[in-house]
Amino acid sequence: MIHNYLTLSVILFCLGILGVISRRNVFIVFMAIELMLNAANLGFVTLSRLHLSMDGHVLALMVMAVAAAEAALALAVVILLHKHKGKLDTDVFNLLKG
Amino acid sequence: MTETLLFYGFGLLSILGALGLILFKHPMNGAMSFVITLISLACLYALLSAKLIFAIQLIVYAGAIMSLILFIIMFLNIGESDLPEERGRWFYLAGGIVAIGPIAILMQRAFKTLPPGETAIVGDGFGGVQEVGMVLFTDWLLPFEIVSILLLVALVGAVVLAGKREVSE
Amino acid sequence: MEQSTPYLGFIPLLPLAGALVLGLMHIATCQGKRIPDKLYGILGCIGPFIALILAVKVFFELKALDEGKRVLLQRVYNWIEVGDLKISMGFLADPLSSLMLLFVTFVGFLIHLYSIGYMAGDKNFGKFFAYLNLFLASMLLLVLGDGPVVMFVGWEGVGLCSYLLISFYSEDPANVVAGNKAFIVNRIGDLGFVLGISFLFWGIGADGFDYISLEASATNLNPTLGLTVCLLLFVGATGKSAQIPLYVWLPDAMAGPTPVSALIHAATMVTAGVYMIARFSFLYVQVPLAGEIIAWVGILTALLAAIFGMYQRDIKKILAYSTVSQLGYMFAAVGLTAYSAGIFHVFTHAFFKALLFLGAGSVIHALHHEQDIWKMGGLKKKLPVTYWTMLFGALALAGCPLFSGFFSKDEILYSALAHGHGAIWFIGLIVAGITAYYTFRMFFVVFHGKPADQSLYDKAHESPPVMTVPLVILAVGAVFAGFLNLPHLFGGHLMVSHWLSPSLVEHHPDPTLALELLAVGGSIVAFVIGVSIAYRKFGTKAQEPVYRGFHKFAENKFMVDELFGALIVTPYRYLSQGISRIIEPWVTDGPLKSMALLYRLSGLAFKVFQVGLVRVYAIYMVLGLSIMSFLLIKTLNL
Repeated sequence: MIHNYLTLSVILFCLGILGVISRRNVFIVFMAIELMLNAANLGFVTLSRLHLSMDGHVLALMVMAVAAAEAALALAVVILLHKHKGKLDTDVFNLLKG
Repeated sequence: MTETLLFYGFGLLSILGALGLILFKHPMNGAMSFVITLISLACLYALLSAKLIFAIQLIVYAGAIMSLILFIIMFLNIGESDLPEERGRWFYLAGGIVAIGPIAILMQRAFKTLPPGETAIVGDGFGGVQEVGMVLFTDWLLPFEIVSILLLVALVGAVVLAGKREVSE
Repeated sequence: MEQSTPYLGFIPLLPLAGALVLGLMHIATCQGKRIPDKLYGILGCIGPFIALILAVKVFFELKALDEGKRVLLQRVYNWIEVGDLKISMGFLADPLSSLMLLFVTFVGFLIHLYSIGYMAGDKNFGKFFAYLNLFLASMLLLVLGDGPVVMFVGWEGVGLCSYLLISFYSEDPANVVAGNKAFIVNRIGDLGFVLGISFLFWGIGADGFDYISLEASATNLNPTLGLTVCLLLFVGATGKSAQIPLYVWLPDAMAGPTPVSALIHAATMVTAGVYMIARFSFLYVQVPLAGEIIAWVGILTALLAAIFGMYQRDIKKILAYSTVSQLGYMFAAVGLTAYSAGIFHVFTHAFFKALLFLGAGSVIHALHHEQDIWKMGGLKKKLPVTYWTMLFGALALAGCPLFSGFFSKDEILYSALAHGHGAIWFIGLIVAGITAYYTFRMFFVVFHGKPADQSLYDKAHESPPVMTVPLVILAVGAVFAGFLNLPHLFGGHLMVSHWLSPSLVEHHPDPTLALELLAVGGSIVAFVIGVSIAYRKFGTKAQEPVYRGFHKFAENKFMVDELFGALIVTPYRYLSQGISRIIEPWVTDGPLKSMALLYRLSGLAFKVFQVGLVRVYAIYMVLGLSIMSFLLIKTLNL
């Protein structure tokens, strides 16, 4: 049963990666990253259940805190982007082009 | 038996939600389907006897973060014209599936080495506020404090980035 | 046998400290307010003065010792220490170096004193004294060093200072060129010197590399190596002491202020070569062939320089050529292993040449920096002190009997005869006659006859006492220095030769009355003929002669400078240009440039991947992860 949970976690993580590399909409990219974090969280909680230890839960809490911080900053950046360029396209940023 | 059924039900829902997130064109629809994923995940946490994480997943993720995202999406009032053209989406998607194949297989194989385990609901003494709190504030005290500083920094950063600039000229 | 003397090191150190202090003072004040010249002058003279007192002390301390044991040593610290080899910063005073020490500090001090008057009002007064002190310090280090390595430090030091001082009036590019010429020509000689001491070290340096150890093991040197070392050292000496073919820098060195010329020609620098060969006398006596080469080079230099001297019109250049000529005598003497005669001539020459230069400086000073003798004339009335002192100097240089130059020159000519080199004696005699001629040509034209330029004449004035007092002191020296080494013929006892004999390895041939009489008689005749020709031509009325034919050729110094220019300088310039145009861009820079091009091309290639889109970078990352996972699956057999 544990393995089913872990397989689900892997599937969700891969879907997150697919979201990041295939979409250009900043909101979708951002939420795909959140999806990957959640997949990792699922893995933590499952392993915590397997070993009957609390450390996985604590780690999941930490990840959530980081996700919250990230959300605050990322959304601020999205607002800036929209304000300056009027677009939600990640490809607008190409200053690093060689 | 009920637990297995529930797992498959919520698992399917979360995958569908994730698929919706990466396939819907409008971010509003994507966000709504992502909420489904988050709620199903919360239910899966509950099935894993993680009572506190279940609650926090609902409150912080599905509640706070997602409502913030939805608020911003609506605040920016995104219409069809604002959306980026995403022509090569399917091509990227196909390529991505090929690329992540080995990654998925590696993770899957790694998890296979774990011993099989039961997921029957554990009653008292696991996953509650008391148990998590005991570990969090003893063994994990330093990371906890660092995370609190991180949140503070993120708060200040967000204010600086998004706040109204005083025109100095 | 070795006496440790704690104050020996202070002799070069004091002028060096003076140079440092003066230099710092000058640097600190060259932008803002000037420090009064008097302070500079006093500070500049203190170092040489104390060095002079110490030199006298050294002399008397040596005199108090037994004859064979007259050596004072001070080893300050180990300077170079490699394995068993130890080269110390050490100082050695023996009869030879103490004699050098005495007249170097004495003449050096007088020149410092004189410079206070001569350089008065110059805007780089402090700098001048700093250089002068440094010059003296280098020379004292050269003289006092206890081994070739310490000597070499001083050797290079005087080369550097001569460069600095010759191009002292650096506003005029010609002076800078003259300074460069002196420095470069000296460098050629220095190369010989370095090679010489390197070979010497290779040969017999294992048992210690100071004069005392070297002298002890000199007999172990194999003859071929010995000849090589001697000739290489002589190359060094030709550079410093201006012998054929490296004498060309010395006349140009007249570009510097006159006291500098006096210092270079009388006390320091040019005598270094003679001193060095006398110092290495223990080597040279073993290689008679090297000695003969030196003697011939010396006497030919003397002849050539004397011929050039007859046709010069610049008062300082006449004296410069006379110096080259006198140095030729000295080399002839040391080449013939008559070291004491050579050093004695160095000694007397220091007095009368310093006197003549300072006198010439006084004339130039009086005439507001006019150096052409054909524009002078009749200055006897205007500059009485200068006139009389210059007269003594000229008589000494010309070799008038009973003046110092006569005795020392006679000693050299006599030793040429005594060693059986009649040809060298004869050439020496001719040179003596020519010397008398050109010295008095200059003297008569400058001081007798009618003023050639009335306006210059009217403005002329006698120099201040700070300049004339050193002249008088040097004049006394020029007259009487010769009596220190009075030969047996005149009832003397060759005091200087006896004093020097412990430091020198030389053979004294048995004196024969006939030869001595021949030498003395020849010298007197040469002097009389030279002076009388000069008097007939220029004694009463000095007319600028027009030179033609051979005379014109000689006036142009046999085109030696032009010859060097065509043979060495021009090909060298073309070679350098060729290197900078062909070898540098294609051979040395080429590989570097192509390497840079390679990096640029690879940069262009990698640039394609830098699309600047965050998503694409994420794709790269996923691709990398994917490949890594694939490899892990493969290798771990999961």
